[in-house]
Amino acid sequence: MSKVYIIGGAQTDFERNWTKEGKNVMALLKEIIADGFKGAGINEETVTSLNEENRVACFVGNFIAEKYIEQGHLGALLTEANSCFNGVPSARYEAACASSSAALDAAITKIQNDDYDLAIVVGFELMKTVDSKTGSDFLGMAAYYEAEAKEIAFPFPRLFGRLADELLSKYDVDEKRFMDALASIAVINYENAKRNPLSQTRKWFMNFQQASARATDTNPLVGGRLAASDCSQITDGAVMVVLASEKFLKENNIEDKPFVKGYGHRVAPMLFDKKIAEAKNSDYVLPWTRQAVLDAYHRSGLTVDDIDVFETHDCFTSSEYAAISAFGITAAGDEYKAVEDGTISFTGSKPVNPSGGLIGCGHPVGASGARMFLDLYKQVSGTAGDYQIKDARNGMMLNIGGSATTSYVFIVGR
Amino acid sequence: MRTIKTVTVVGANGTMGCNVSAIFASFGNAKVYMVSRNIEDAKAAVEKAAKSVRATAITANLIPADYSLLSKCVAESDLIFESVAENFETKAEVTRKIAENIREKTVICSGTSGLSITSLAQQLPEELRGCYLGVHMFNPPYYMTLCEVIPTEYSDKALLNDIKDYLAEVLLRTVVEVADVPAFLGNRIGFQFINQAMQLAQDKAERGGIDYVDAIFGPFSGRAMYPLVTSDFVGLDVHKAIVDNVYFNTEDKARDSFVFPEFARRLVSEGRLGRKSAKGGLYRREKTEDGKSRILVYDIMTDGYREQTEYDFAFAGKMNAFIKNGEYSSAIAELLTDVSAEARLCCEALLKYIVYSLRCSLDFGGSIHAADDVMATGYNWCPPLAMLEAFETVKGFKQIAKEKLAAEYLERYDFEEIISKVEPSKYDYRRYFRASR
Repeated sequence: MSKVYIIGGAQTDFERNWTKEGKNVMALLKEIIADGFKGAGINEETVTSLNEENRVACFVGNFIAEKYIEQGHLGALLTEANSCFNGVPSARYEAACASSSAALDAAITKIQNDDYDLAIVVGFELMKTVDSKTGSDFLGMAAYYEAEAKEIAFPFPRLFGRLADELLSKYDVDEKRFMDALASIAVINYENAKRNPLSQTRKWFMNFQQASARATDTNPLVGGRLAASDCSQITDGAVMVVLASEKFLKENNIEDKPFVKGYGHRVAPMLFDKKIAEAKNSDYVLPWTRQAVLDAYHRSGLTVDDIDVFETHDCFTSSEYAAISAFGITAAGDEYKAVEDGTISFTGSKPVNPSGGLIGCGHPVGASGARMFLDLYKQVSGTAGDYQIKDARNGMMLNIGGSATTSYVFIVGR
Repeated sequence: MRTIKTVTVVGANGTMGCNVSAIFASFGNAKVYMVSRNIEDAKAAVEKAAKSVRATAITANLIPADYSLLSKCVAESDLIFESVAENFETKAEVTRKIAENIREKTVICSGTSGLSITSLAQQLPEELRGCYLGVHMFNPPYYMTLCEVIPTEYSDKALLNDIKDYLAEVLLRTVVEVADVPAFLGNRIGFQFINQAMQLAQDKAERGGIDYVDAIFGPFSGRAMYPLVTSDFVGLDVHKAIVDNVYFNTEDKARDSFVFPEFARRLVSEGRLGRKSAKGGLYRREKTEDGKSRILVYDIMTDGYREQTEYDFAFAGKMNAFIKNGEYSSAIAELLTDVSAEARLCCEALLKYIVYSLRCSLDFGGSIHAADDVMATGYNWCPPLAMLEAFETVKGFKQIAKEKLAAEYLERYDFEEIISKVEPSKYDYRRYFRASR
C-alpha cells in the first residue's frame, strides 16, 4: 500500500449565507475550486495534464443536495464549475453528516492502490435555502425517517437529547456535574472558534452562565435536556482537500507533507433504540464509534498517547461528551473529568476541536468531515494560524453520520 | 492589559447606549450601570440589551440606574461611556458632570459619531483630559464589529494602547485608530457615498429619483443594503447632521458632495425622518387592506409617496446573473463596458469610492488598510482595497481609473501616491458582491 499525502486545500468562510448573497451552488463550487487549488499549490493545468494519463480523480461528499437545492449527480457537476474536470473520473459519496469522510475514504483508497496520483475531495452543503423546520425535516432522513423522523419536529435534537439521557443513566455521574460538563463543552467550542477566522460563530457571545442556564428565552430547550447552546448550527459551506501519491510529490518537488496514518469506519444499528439496546453489554454508550477509533489506532500503530490534537463531531454537546472516552482520553464514564480538569481545552494535554468544532465552526453537513480533515492537516503542518496547537505531530478526527450510526475516524500525521 | 470591571454607560436607554452596554456586559463580563432618563427606561433597556447579544445570562451584569445615581456610578467605575444625544452642548454638560465624581485614571469615552473629541475633552479639567477618548461603535455592534478610537493631543499614550487592546482582545472589536476629524473615517466615506446618491436622486428626480438611484446601486455593487435605504434606516436627521458637520467644519476637497439636497432638507423639517417616523422618509411602510405591508417610495417631483418602480437595467440584470454563478470578473467587465447612463453612473461612483476611501484612509486612518476595516466591519460594504482587486480581475486599476475618471479628479486626490501605497486587502471581495434574490 502506498502512502497518501495531503498537499493542502481550502475552506469557505462558514459565517456566510450564500442564499442571502443570492448565490447558487455554482458560485460555491467555483470558489472552493479556486481557493482549494491555491491552497494545494496546483492549478487547472495540473489536473488537465494528469488526466491525460488518467492519474487524477474527484470525490464529492454531500448529504442531500437533492432536497436543499434540487440537484443530484454531484460528481459530474464539478465539470460545470470548471472545465478542467471534463473527462476526470468523479462521483458523489453519501453517508449523512459523514458524507465527505466517505469521499475521503474512497480517495485515500484509490491513491493507496496506485490507481491515481492526485485525488481532489470536495465536501459541501448549502442549507440556508430553506427555513429551519423544513431543513430539520430533510436532516431527519439521516435517521430511519419513517420510524424516527417523519412528522416529528426537529428529530435530531431529540435523538441526541436521548443520547444525553443514556449517558446519565449508564454512568454513575451526578446530573448537575454532567449538565455542567456539557455546558463547558459548548463554551470551549465557542471560545476556540474565536481564534478561527473561518468559523461561523467567531463574533457570537457565549459563556458558562449562558450555556448552563437552559430553558430561557435566549437558550430554549430543543431536545429533551439539551438547549440551543448544546447544538451546533447548520450553515452553508464547502471544503476541498487534495491528496497525492509519493510519485506526485517527487515529480513536483513537494516535501514534508502530512500523510494519512490510519482510519476506522464502522456502522451501528440505524435505529437509536437498537443502538442503545445493543450497547447494554458494552462499557461504551457508542461501542461501534469506540471500535472505529480502535481500528484507526490499530492500523496506524499509534495509541491515544501519540495523538496531540483531536477534531470531533460535536453536532451536540452529548456527542462530544461520548467521543472523549471513545478516543481513549478517559475511561468510559469518566468523560466529565477531562472537561473539568481542562484536558480537552485549547491549552490542555488532549485538545479537542481547536477549530471550534461543529458548535463553534459551524456544520454544513456534507462539508464537515472534510473540514475536520483539513483542520488536522493544518495542525500537523503548522499552518493553523491563531488556533495552532503547539508541536502537533499527529491528529485524530471523528466524523459521525446520523445518530452516531456511521463513524469515520482518520489519523493524520507526519 | 487594563482590567475593566465596572462600566457606566450614560444615555443607556438610547439604541447605541443600550447595545454598547450589552457588549461590555457580555464579552467584557463587566458590571454595567445603565444610566437612563428614568429607572423605567433603564429597566427596559436592560432587557433590550440582553436580547441584542442573545444572552439572558448577562442581565446579572446590567444594573438599571437614573441620573440621580450618576455620581455614585461614576465614582465606582473603571470606564465611563457617554452615549447621550448627538448634540455638542448636551454632551459637554454630561461630560462636565461626569468629571465631578470621577476616580483618578478612570477612562472616559464618548460614543459620538463625529463631534470634535478635542472640544469635548476640553470640557474636562486638564488633569482628566489624558483619560478621554472617542470610542465610536456602529449599529448594531453585535453584528458590526467596527470600533473607531479617536485620541486627542491630550490623550495618554499608554492608556490609549491599553484601551485599544481591551476593545480588540476582550470585546472582540475591529479597532481602527482615526484622526479627530468630522465624521471620523467610516461615516466620512460612507456618508459621502450615500449623500452623493441622495444628490443624484434630486438630479434624476424626473427619472424616478430615490428608487431609481437605489436600483443603480443594488447588491451587485458590493453592499448588503441600498444606499438610500441605509439613509432611511439610520434617519435623515442623523444623515443631515453628519454631512453638515463635514460641510461646515472641513476643507474637504469633495466638500460639495456633502451638501444635503434641498428635498431631503424639506423632509427633515417636516419630521419625515425615515423608518423611525410614522410619516415615513425616503420610503414609507404601509399596511394594505389584506393586512400585508408594502413599501412606498417618496417621489421628489410630486412630493408624495408612490409604488416603487421595477427598474430593469440591462447591466444590473447581467451583473446579477454573473454574480449568482460566482463569475465576478465577468460581472465587473459588464460594468466597465456597458454604455448605458445607469451603468456609467454606477461604475464611476464605485471608482470614486475607491479613490476617496483610500485618500481618507491615508489622511485620517494612518494606513491604507484603515478604510477597508471601517467599510467592511462598519458598513458591510465591499471595502475599497478589496473592490480594487475585483476591478483588477479585468485589468489594471490604474488604467481603469485613468480611462473612467477625469484627470483633474485623480490629481485632486494625488492618485499616484494612493496607487503607490496599495497593498493586498485583508478582505475577500467575493462575499460583498451580491445578487438580488
